[in-house]
Amino acid sequence: MIGFDKLAERLTRSVARQSSRRSLLALLGAGITGAAAFPVLPVARAAGHAGGPAHQPVTSGNPQDPGDRTSCDYWRYCAIDGFLCTCCGGSVNACPPGTEMSPITWIGTCTNPADNRAYIISYNDCCGVSSCGQCLCNRNEGDRPQVRPQSNNDYNWCIGAQSSVYNCSTAVIVGLALDKPL
Amino acid sequence: MTSLWRAGAVMLAGAVLALVSGRAATAQGTGIMAGVVDARQAHEDYMLKCQGCHRPDGSGDDRTAPPMRDTVARFLGVPGGRAFLGRVPGVATTNLDDRRLTNLLNWTLYRFDPAHVPAGFAPYTPEEIGRLRADPIRLDRVETRARLVAAFPQR
Repeated sequence: MIGFDKLAERLTRSVARQSSRRSLLALLGAGITGAAAFPVLPVARAAGHAGGPAHQPVTSGNPQDPGDRTSCDYWRYCAIDGFLCTCCGGSVNACPPGTEMSPITWIGTCTNPADNRAYIISYNDCCGVSSCGQCLCNRNEGDRPQVRPQSNNDYNWCIGAQSSVYNCSTAVIVGLALDKPL
Repeated sequence: MTSLWRAGAVMLAGAVLALVSGRAATAQGTGIMAGVVDARQAHEDYMLKCQGCHRPDGSGDDRTAPPMRDTVARFLGVPGGRAFLGRVPGVATTNLDDRRLTNLLNWTLYRFDPAHVPAGFAPYTPEEIGRLRADPIRLDRVETRARLVAAFPQR
């Protein structure tokens, strides 16, 4: 232990002899400036954003329902216009906690790539909390102009809910379309 | 022993349930819906064209899309009601051809309000629907409906 004492004392004294208080300030100042400049350098910053996904993929695990539910390319989102509830604390079938699912909804069909059949999809909006802001999708396949309100997705479909404030959209399968229409 | 009993009871309950639901399905299957050419097509068209606002069970509400359940066939019993169902915008302006729309409208009556379908009801025909939808009700749909509902016989 005495050896440690002597070593520490010698180091301290040599530092005190060789440096002034001003040089410490200069050293700290240079360090702070350097630290501020360092993150600006292009050190693999791209990997944090554009290269990687903003959300972890969410899949069903069912080969009959393929695809990543946080991606606008997921088959059920073929006519969606809005934020994906899967990215907002809900799921493809359920609203995030604290929101209410609107009973009034926009309905269309999407083709499931697993069996190439048309499924009837209900895009129930979740309402009551301000916009989620995550995973905005706007695919609009089969969307009709506003003169056909029942087939237009630009309307706020929160009209039937307690609050008309829009949060996000689900994509619920409600049926299977017939292969041959009447 | 108790668990065996319980298992037996569950199986029995299951069998009874299957029997009851089987009978219900048969009763529904034997119901003849005049004017409905294809009930599955009608149900699909209902899902695609109506359900979004009128709800899967036709319940609706007075704030948004009016209820059809236990109501829609009552229009057939008042003067002007039959024409109203063909001219109301939700029916008249739907993008289905006359044949599919007629199939859908007739199905809607049996599906949501079978009790009020009149005994001698002559189902809508595509020709009649084609004629009615050519003259759709526009802005006065709410008043027209209210006037007809007020004329419903009280019971």
